[in-house]
Amino acid sequence: MLKAVHYINQFFGQVGGEESADFEPVLQEGPVGPGLLLNEAMKEAKVTHTVICGDNFMASHPEEAVARILKMLEGLKFDVFLAGPAFNAGRYGVACGTICKAVKEKFGVPVITSMNEENPAVEMFKSNMYIFKGGRRATYMKQDVEKMAVFADKIARGDKLLPASMEGYFPRGIRHEVFLEDLGLEPKCAADRAFEMLLKKLKGEPYETELPIPKQERVPIAPAVKDLRKVKIALVTSGGIVPKDNPDRIQSCSATKWGAYDISKLDRLMAPDFKTIHAGYDPEQANKNPNVVLPLDAIRQYQKEGRIGEVDDHYYVTVGTGTTQAEAARMGREIAQRLKERNVGAVVLTAT
Amino acid sequence: MKLEIGNFFVKDIVFGDRTFYERGVLTVNKKEALDVVFEDSHITEAELYIVRPGDEVRLVPVKEAYEMRCKVSGGQSVYPGCTAPVAPVGSGRTHALKGCSLLVVGKHWGSFQDGLIDMSGPAQRNTIFGSMPNLVLVGDTDEEFERHEQQKKNRALRWAGMRLSEYVGKCVKDLEPEEIETWELEPVNERASDVRNLPSVVYVPQIQTQMEALGYNALVYGWDGNRMLPTYLHPNEILDGAIISGSFMPCSSKISTYEWVNNPMIKRLMREHGRTINFLGVVLSNLNVVMEEKVRSAMMVANIAKALGADGAIVAEEGYGNPDVDYILTIVELEKAGIKTVGMTNECTGRDGTSQPLVALDERANALVSTGNVSELYELPPMKTVLGELESLARDGLSGGWEGCVREDGSVIMENNAFFCSDHISGFSLKTCAEF
Repeated sequence: MLKAVHYINQFFGQVGGEESADFEPVLQEGPVGPGLLLNEAMKEAKVTHTVICGDNFMASHPEEAVARILKMLEGLKFDVFLAGPAFNAGRYGVACGTICKAVKEKFGVPVITSMNEENPAVEMFKSNMYIFKGGRRATYMKQDVEKMAVFADKIARGDKLLPASMEGYFPRGIRHEVFLEDLGLEPKCAADRAFEMLLKKLKGEPYETELPIPKQERVPIAPAVKDLRKVKIALVTSGGIVPKDNPDRIQSCSATKWGAYDISKLDRLMAPDFKTIHAGYDPEQANKNPNVVLPLDAIRQYQKEGRIGEVDDHYYVTVGTGTTQAEAARMGREIAQRLKERNVGAVVLTAT
Repeated sequence: MKLEIGNFFVKDIVFGDRTFYERGVLTVNKKEALDVVFEDSHITEAELYIVRPGDEVRLVPVKEAYEMRCKVSGGQSVYPGCTAPVAPVGSGRTHALKGCSLLVVGKHWGSFQDGLIDMSGPAQRNTIFGSMPNLVLVGDTDEEFERHEQQKKNRALRWAGMRLSEYVGKCVKDLEPEEIETWELEPVNERASDVRNLPSVVYVPQIQTQMEALGYNALVYGWDGNRMLPTYLHPNEILDGAIISGSFMPCSSKISTYEWVNNPMIKRLMREHGRTINFLGVVLSNLNVVMEEKVRSAMMVANIAKALGADGAIVAEEGYGNPDVDYILTIVELEKAGIKTVGMTNECTGRDGTSQPLVALDERANALVSTGNVSELYELPPMKTVLGELESLARDGLSGGWEGCVREDGSVIMENNAFFCSDHISGFSLKTCAEF
């Protein structure tokens, strides 16, 4: 019998509703709330402990919350970590994703959660963990718990795990070859699959490609700025240039965070005050001279020469390696919003 | 053009006093057969073996697979332009020993394009050759210029395989076949209206021709495909030996000569002709290195298909990595010409499965069949017998092997890349890729 730890928020932990959302994390023995259902459904694993944490507490003090929970778990022996289901609750979803990711990284155990496809945390965390496709609200509790339990049992038994679409979790961006017979499918040869797909395509009938290509959003290039002296210019980069202590803990790959840092008093970025945390290129040159990625030195020179007017007093940065298109687009929208609020009229965007 | 293939279904292969076929058993006179191999003085060592499904045998480095067959009428040789003067194929009668193959294996030295076959155990199913009896030629040559090169033309052994397969194939030349397959496709402008009213389809194989030096690429009537432009072929020409596999691409992505003459994609399209589709024929493309060449070929494929009046196309890329660009470009050009297109090839998603599956992506490539992941890791138990030299996998730069991948006990860890033609882009693949 495997031992499972289960994470839930203050509401499902029966502490209270929104008024208790600042509830600080606690560890309790045995299952609580949805954990009871999990224990009914799981045959090969049991919830031995439950972590309860207020959604607000996790949202406003994520690092502290994670550190405290990881410390609580240190003494425990457990084989699998479960969280939620979180349905379409945004804060709860992010909390489940955050703690699952941290637990997986620290303890190396499988982590399983469940969310509705509209929960923004799905996009943020699906590549890091098994997130089962859940209902929109708690009325789906039983079904959602059931799916998590079946999968936990499979892991416990060491069963061969099937592709995401067959197991019911959101695909994690991991593609492997499989023999059709191992999926319980008719072993149809590639020639027959290709022919049947073509026939359906010719007839205008629905068919399923075996390699879906993500839709590429092409952004039209903006018209040229008429007079650079009359707009505020901002520097933005996906090259991972951060102040040396990386205050916002932007991840070195698959980033979900971006940062804005003050450059109003600087003529150039100096090493080692600034460095790159990007894991996708050789950092040697950027660490020697961060301006090669974020060209503050050049933009100040232009300013001195009077070729451009104002420069925004912050620069904006994330890491562009391993980052999903959806995450990149979300961060792009957020940064663009900030730039608009600050009346920025043009951006120098440097990639690596 | 009408081609009859007379089939003889081989259940077993044995050695004997003469080479003949009788009631499912192919008997090979070893001495005579080896004499044919040694006709080329560059062959320095050669031996023949027979392997059967279930045998605890591993073959490596496997260089090629041939079907043993011969021309009865309508031509002199099944390898025109290679072992015989160039001459048309695709009509008349060809006799073939079915359900078995001739495998050519290096006695010591492997190369980038060579592969591994297991006749039993967990990886038996990874190549179609694991589930049929095979005559095996194991040999060495005096081709010193390439002995320690990672890229080898393997010319002496490949040509020996062609001669040998034809020598054995000739034993059924005068016999009555157990089955006759008839492949016929009338000229595109002489088809009945009920056929013309069906959706018109072309098959676009992109053969591997990316080695700029000659002698390594797939051959068309003996012509190095690196020096060709897309062209039109009657499907019978391919079923009758017009295309010979090259000696360049990582092995799982290769299409062996055996698979060209048994190409299941062509056979399916031929069978559907007049029933569900109007099969216009084959637009044969090469694969290129230089961008302008890629664009030119993609454009010409689309133009030929359009000129023929195609409504649909199936594109198959023999390779992965760089030629994915040619593959996606060609699909996109066909789609732009209004031709509904399905693509078939393998993927390279990395050992952890997280890499971008094709080098080039385009959302207009919206109907793709996936035949495997070249970088999938496999652990293989030791086999009692190895034909060839196991260490070649680790030593000679085989695409899916590396130094240390062969262990002392004879077990192996390797990438799918090193299985012989295992992604079967010809259409035999029983694999796909799925997201986890």
